[in-house]
Amino acid sequence: MKNGILHPRFIVRQIVRSRRQAIVFVLCVALSIVTLISLNGFSASVNASLLNDAKTLHAADIIIQSYYEISPGTVNTVRQFEDQNEIIGHRVWEFYSVVRNRKGRDSLLAKLKIVQPGYPFYGQVVLKSGRKFAGVLTPGSIIVAQRLLDRLNLKVGDPLHVGSTTLTIKDVVLQEPDQPVNIFLLGPRIFIAAADIDRLDLVKKGSRVRHFYLIKVLQEDKIRSIADRLRDVSDAEQERVDTYRTARSRIKRFFDNLFFDLSLISIFTLLLAGIGIQSALTAFLKEKEKTIAIMKTVGAKSHFITRQYIFILSILGLAGTIIGLLAGLLLQSGLDVLFRGFLPENIALIISWRAVLEGLCLGVLVVGLFSFIPLHRLKDIKPVIIFRKERIRSQARLPIYLSGFLILAFFVLLVFWQVNELKTALYFILGVILLIVITAVSTGAVLLILKRSRVRSLLIRQAIKGLFRPKNATRPIIITLTASFAVIFAIYLIEQNLDASFIQSYPGDAPNVFFLDIQPSQLEKFSDVLGLPAQYYPIIRAKIMSINGQKINRQQERRRRGDNLARTFNLTYRNHLLEDEVIVKGGRLYQKSWGDRQVSVMDTVADSNQMKIGDSITFKVQGVPLQARISSIRSRTRESIRPFFYFVFPDNTLRDAPQTIFTAVRIAKPQISALQTKIVENFPNISVIDTTELLMIFTGVVKKLSLIIRFFAAFSIVAGILIILSSILATRYARIQEAVYYKILGARNNFVVKVFTLENLVLGLVSTGQALLISQAASWLICIKVMNISYQPFIIDSILLLGVTLLLVVTVGLLPSISILRKKPVVFLREHTQE
Amino acid sequence: MPVVEARNITKTYTIANREIRVLDDVSLSVAEGEFLVVEGSSGSGKTTLLSLLSGLDKPSSGRVLLEEMDITEASEDDLAPLRNETIGFVFQSFHLVPSLTALENVMFPAEIRRDPQAHDKAAELLKRVGLQKRSDNYPHQLSGGEMQRVAMCRAVINNPKIIFADEPTGNLDSENGKAVLDLLLEFKKEHQTTLVLVTHSIDIARIADRMIILKDGRIS
Repeated sequence: MKNGILHPRFIVRQIVRSRRQAIVFVLCVALSIVTLISLNGFSASVNASLLNDAKTLHAADIIIQSYYEISPGTVNTVRQFEDQNEIIGHRVWEFYSVVRNRKGRDSLLAKLKIVQPGYPFYGQVVLKSGRKFAGVLTPGSIIVAQRLLDRLNLKVGDPLHVGSTTLTIKDVVLQEPDQPVNIFLLGPRIFIAAADIDRLDLVKKGSRVRHFYLIKVLQEDKIRSIADRLRDVSDAEQERVDTYRTARSRIKRFFDNLFFDLSLISIFTLLLAGIGIQSALTAFLKEKEKTIAIMKTVGAKSHFITRQYIFILSILGLAGTIIGLLAGLLLQSGLDVLFRGFLPENIALIISWRAVLEGLCLGVLVVGLFSFIPLHRLKDIKPVIIFRKERIRSQARLPIYLSGFLILAFFVLLVFWQVNELKTALYFILGVILLIVITAVSTGAVLLILKRSRVRSLLIRQAIKGLFRPKNATRPIIITLTASFAVIFAIYLIEQNLDASFIQSYPGDAPNVFFLDIQPSQLEKFSDVLGLPAQYYPIIRAKIMSINGQKINRQQERRRRGDNLARTFNLTYRNHLLEDEVIVKGGRLYQKSWGDRQVSVMDTVADSNQMKIGDSITFKVQGVPLQARISSIRSRTRESIRPFFYFVFPDNTLRDAPQTIFTAVRIAKPQISALQTKIVENFPNISVIDTTELLMIFTGVVKKLSLIIRFFAAFSIVAGILIILSSILATRYARIQEAVYYKILGARNNFVVKVFTLENLVLGLVSTGQALLISQAASWLICIKVMNISYQPFIIDSILLLGVTLLLVVTVGLLPSISILRKKPVVFLREHTQE
Repeated sequence: MPVVEARNITKTYTIANREIRVLDDVSLSVAEGEFLVVEGSSGSGKTTLLSLLSGLDKPSSGRVLLEEMDITEASEDDLAPLRNETIGFVFQSFHLVPSLTALENVMFPAEIRRDPQAHDKAAELLKRVGLQKRSDNYPHQLSGGEMQRVAMCRAVINNPKIIFADEPTGNLDSENGKAVLDLLLEFKKEHQTTLVLVTHSIDIARIADRMIILKDGRIS
């Protein structure tokens, strides 16, 4: 081998001789990119499908929507365009209402969609009978979802009471273009012809109806200009005008949020896999120390040797990247199974070449960054180690610090690139750094305690000694496993707490039936029919126009994750606090000298929008501006299913505003259905919501989401497992040596198995124990401070989690040791005796 | 009564499809308290003979008896108590457990035997060989002579009936080699232990009760 020339046989031999470590290295590289590639590819597929089918998903070219009657200015402009034969416009109304079967015995909350003839402009409503939608939905007819028939024991041809009228079920809807996913629907769909809207007597002022104007533009190139014109004339405070390209459908918003969360988990996995890469490479190069020392003895220079190994790593890194790419694409193709229920039926999965290219670049960067330190240490190998077994210590600290800095910079840039949101990115980065620092510090402390402990039992002592075996990657294993288990445990604990707070331990005194849209004129009679003591809350729908004179930027607000100020709020008025409310700022609900123009604000909305006492908020109530100063900030003493309001006004301020009334009561479960039917018979416009039904849907969605998130988080455990394997391979010789010596000194096989099992048990116990403590602390913090719900540690579940993960660690640690246990003492002695 | 006896033992290895006969029909017995030296050139089969006599390996044919018990077909677990209580090993390469300190290495066989005095006995032995100050040191922190003294202490802590020593001075300088041999003989004398020692050294062979010479796998 000449200096500077790469010798293929040498390279092949180096890889083959350490093939197990090489495989672990390749798998770590593959793991680092697999979830990001699959997720980015899947996200690209979903986005492409949603964009390609955007017209279908919105059923129109331009969509105008509002929670109020579409304003006269907008309606007039639409009509003008229609008169000029530039567009065709259709009205659609959508809302929840309780419907009853023929005998009026059973009732059910359903989602009504009232459409004009010609709906939809794009896509089609698929019916069970195979007939055309337009031909079936005639006045007096309705088309319903199968779930409605099943729940009310109805069949096609039966009548159904909707609002103040009775309509005949003509067919069953299988698919509708602008509602591709049904998992989020609180009630089954009913299509009603617009001609019946007045007979229903449900669309009233103040009712929670979504008003749509769907517009088809006859000339494609005019879509934008017509949309701009409509936007100019529309009431910006109440109406949204979007084209099919700019409108973010609910499903798109849902996926944007979900992919956002999953990409954070994927970056976390990448980081842990990076630790795995470093660990596996260190082990791989440790096996080469003697070869390198001999090469140096015969005159090879450090940079020549480093070049050989850079080439070897490039081959392995490339293999890992290709495997990661292929696995990512394979995983991507399987993700539609995992996301089933959330995805529209017609999503076509594509190979995103951009995602592939990004994957390749990521693979190269990850290998380069995480391989730097182990490669740099090659130059510290001295020829003298041929004769002496001594630890190699790196003298140069600067390259190590530089490498650490580059890894951090890469991580930060990756997070910003994926998340594209400064605040969340910073929180995530700080969170991950905090998690790893806490884990590293506690791991260091635990290992120090273990090292210094004086254990009487020989078995336990030997097991603990095993953790400190030279070349053992005990610290990286524990850090990686602790971090990954902590994330998974925390997700599980938060899910369980959500479940416990809202579903399992539904408070015995909390209301379980909500009544919406009670008209003030119906209040007295409603109270009689209900026959139960109830607290009534007036609701006035309003939008926020400005805070301290600064106009709300609606577009920017809508892009915010979580709640935003662009939406419609429910205001109320009262002069007292609710049972579960306390004043946290301002001392009292209203300030005596401020008159009626003041408002009390809930702490959650005040905190997230930096509102403070004395700030001025301008609302728009049914087109009328209302300016009020913040008199107090309230907080809820417990998170529960009880009515609460972000903005509460003094009685005098809103008493005369157009309003509906809302109430919630507690009723024994078996009586809910009868009461629902009775109320709907008397007041067809009132929506009755049975929270049991609602919670079932909520639970289903939460469980499914939790499963998806845990599925992705589980990849981070693989990083830990690969580091365990790498560590066992790196210490294989030492383990065989120990096993042989134990046997020569009279220990039975049983003893050796017990020592190895206990060693893995201690490793697992430290990792899972720390993970459980961290996850308990993190979930407590999230539940109490962020979600504002009570926290339960779920001790039994936690112990089960601990047990299962412990079993996993012990099994993974023990399986590769089987061949070690089988090694005969004499064979080892023969191989390692110097004659 | 012989402590250990080999009856017509043969050992063959197959390396690269070639059969190599390392020991060929060897029979011998070692009496209680006897000091037997096995001598021979490199590759003559000395270490293989020691491995077979001590039960570390199994003969291809023939039988090995240890204290009249046939150990030829004994399993590893059957051999474990014999290795722990009846046999002591001293190797040329010391074979100390790297993750254990000198004291822990010496204690180990006694702890396996659940001897409550393991710690005291080990400390006493290390003191006797002049290593009390090195008891908390790990093998890699000890010199060759010190490691061999620790290995010797470990071999004798359970007062074995027989010690198998495979070139115990082979890796040591003459001064350390002599010190180690003196200690070994001191233990042997004190406990009437049988000693089977493999060596190249004629000087050691001279002080043995009996010497056998192996040549091409046979006793010459």
